[in-house]
Amino acid sequence: MNQKQNPISNLLKKPGAQILLFVALAAGVQLLSGGGILPNSLVYALGNTLIYAIVAIGFCLLLGYAGLASLGTAGFIGVGAYIAYYMMQELGLPFILALAATIAVSLLLGIIVGFISLRIEGIYLAIMTLGLSETIRNLLMALKPTIKIDLNNLKLFGTPVSDTGSYYLILGIFAVLMLLVANLIQSPTGRAMLAMKNSTSAAQAMGISLMKYRLLSFVIATVFAALGGLLYMVHVRTMTTATSTLLTLTTSLNILGGVVIGGAKSLWGSTFGIFIIYGIQSMFLSKIQFFQKNPAFITMITGLLIILVVMFFPGGFAQIVWELKMKWQGRKLKEKEAAHES
Amino acid sequence: MFATFVSTLLSSLLTICITCLSAFAVTLIFKTSTTTNFAQGSIAALGCYVTADLFKKLGLPVWLGVFPGILVGVLSGLFVDVVIFRRGRSVNPVGKQIITMGLVSIIFGGIPLIFGNPESIPFEPFYNAVAAGKKPNLFVPFAGGELVITKHSLICLGITLLVLGSLFALLKFSKWGLAVRTTASSESTAELMGINTHAVTAVSWAIAGGLGVLAAVMYAGGGAKIGVSFMTTIQVNAFLAGILGGFSTFYGPLVGAVVIQLASTCVGFLATVPGFSGITRWNMVIVYALMLIVILIKPQGLLGKPLVKKV
Repeated sequence: MNQKQNPISNLLKKPGAQILLFVALAAGVQLLSGGGILPNSLVYALGNTLIYAIVAIGFCLLLGYAGLASLGTAGFIGVGAYIAYYMMQELGLPFILALAATIAVSLLLGIIVGFISLRIEGIYLAIMTLGLSETIRNLLMALKPTIKIDLNNLKLFGTPVSDTGSYYLILGIFAVLMLLVANLIQSPTGRAMLAMKNSTSAAQAMGISLMKYRLLSFVIATVFAALGGLLYMVHVRTMTTATSTLLTLTTSLNILGGVVIGGAKSLWGSTFGIFIIYGIQSMFLSKIQFFQKNPAFITMITGLLIILVVMFFPGGFAQIVWELKMKWQGRKLKEKEAAHES
Repeated sequence: MFATFVSTLLSSLLTICITCLSAFAVTLIFKTSTTTNFAQGSIAALGCYVTADLFKKLGLPVWLGVFPGILVGVLSGLFVDVVIFRRGRSVNPVGKQIITMGLVSIIFGGIPLIFGNPESIPFEPFYNAVAAGKKPNLFVPFAGGELVITKHSLICLGITLLVLGSLFALLKFSKWGLAVRTTASSESTAELMGINTHAVTAVSWAIAGGLGVLAAVMYAGGGAKIGVSFMTTIQVNAFLAGILGGFSTFYGPLVGAVVIQLASTCVGFLATVPGFSGITRWNMVIVYALMLIVILIKPQGLLGKPLVKKV
């Protein structure tokens, strides 16, 4: 096909441009809310959703590219949150140091889980990571049942972080991590991971080191999850481990569900999936009076949607979009043929 | 001292029975459908709510009300396999996991809609000794002390042994058991051999749903507060028991379940030793950590056979 392509659609194929567009849109939402056009709670909820999206893009690499299923996400989020609490609230250190500590600890944790993944695979690995996550949750709960960061202890470059500040911080980190993963999956590393996912034996025969890429993918997923926990403490600032479901299996499953219904091999698909699971509920449905009175319906609708998507579109929303695109192109081709014949 | 220790061990009898029933259900589904059923706990909770509702509104005793509850569990299990899994377009194991997770959301949302949101739900054990004017506990003299056993846990032990015993007998000797074991080793080969694998998976899901509800009713009868997610911990322990004991056999997960609960009770008993009183908080951490170490040393589980992977 030698036809001339639209320069704008060409540009939009580059991950950098996509991320820039997304950041501009998300920043626009904040500006509109600052101008009083959109409610503040909407932006707050969007910030929350973006935190889960950060966790999800790391998970997307793990599940969609390396082919490893983990149910330990919630535990890693907890690790990030508790490091944030101890560094910023107890020790009064600035955000940057908390960030460095979170990355360092979760890196180590990721390597450990990566080594575990060399011993066991598949659903066994999933349940094993679930066990690890439960261990971490019980450990954190024993350390401190409730953690809370005071607003004046949250400092970025010496200035306290406001709600607006934390939103931009989340958005910035999301953009950086997204760019990182988007480039990684197109590099030889991403292709090596895909090969490993499809057949470990064949990949090994091609000279791909299982250890290297499994460790790498687990390290990335773990670090992203821990960063999610850190940002959660910056944005929400309080967490009750004993009663909330944040560090339980529910969160790990929600992240897994978001990635699968979005399309495990598509970063934007996964982000959209997370938006469906976390965003729609907190941003829109909770504003409608009917759902405020019956919050149970929201949970049911989410569950139903997940089941329907997995049943009929195993590739998730990314597959729906792709199928629509193919149909559209097929129709255009037919029109062209028809014009040619006449 | 020794009598207290044995008493403490006996106090975990009920949890052991419940975890064993759940672990068997999880294993049955894992082996026939190659997926982990995350809805195991919530289907169990749903059935338990039915029993509790019949008890509260109609005054139906629990030993009778448990049957409609189990029926709901069986139907929910059948629904998952026959309606959801079989209608889907090529659903893979991870997809099945996600579907069971979506089902958890639906049940979590549905229970308050059907049964309301009461503060606490009245419930009774199978044999309500207090209402009959008798003591709920048995006291047996033993080694210079006294053993305390609740009658409820003894009844539950009997039921568990009966149910699991007959299921194992069925697995070993019946035609259905042979079909399950064949499906478990390879579904496509079993299909080629003329086994109706659809029927096998459907019956497995039905049994798993029923066992879950039975376990939930036992748990609630033992004094656990009924809630939407009150079976989640049991379910997680059942998964871990499967890994610890090894999914390659049917009895491995049961051994895992007993080991996990006994280990947890032993660590809990340490708290009564002077100087170790703070250990209760770390109870589950220690048990899970020990378990992770065991699995790292023996990835196929305590009783598992090594997996042979073919290219």
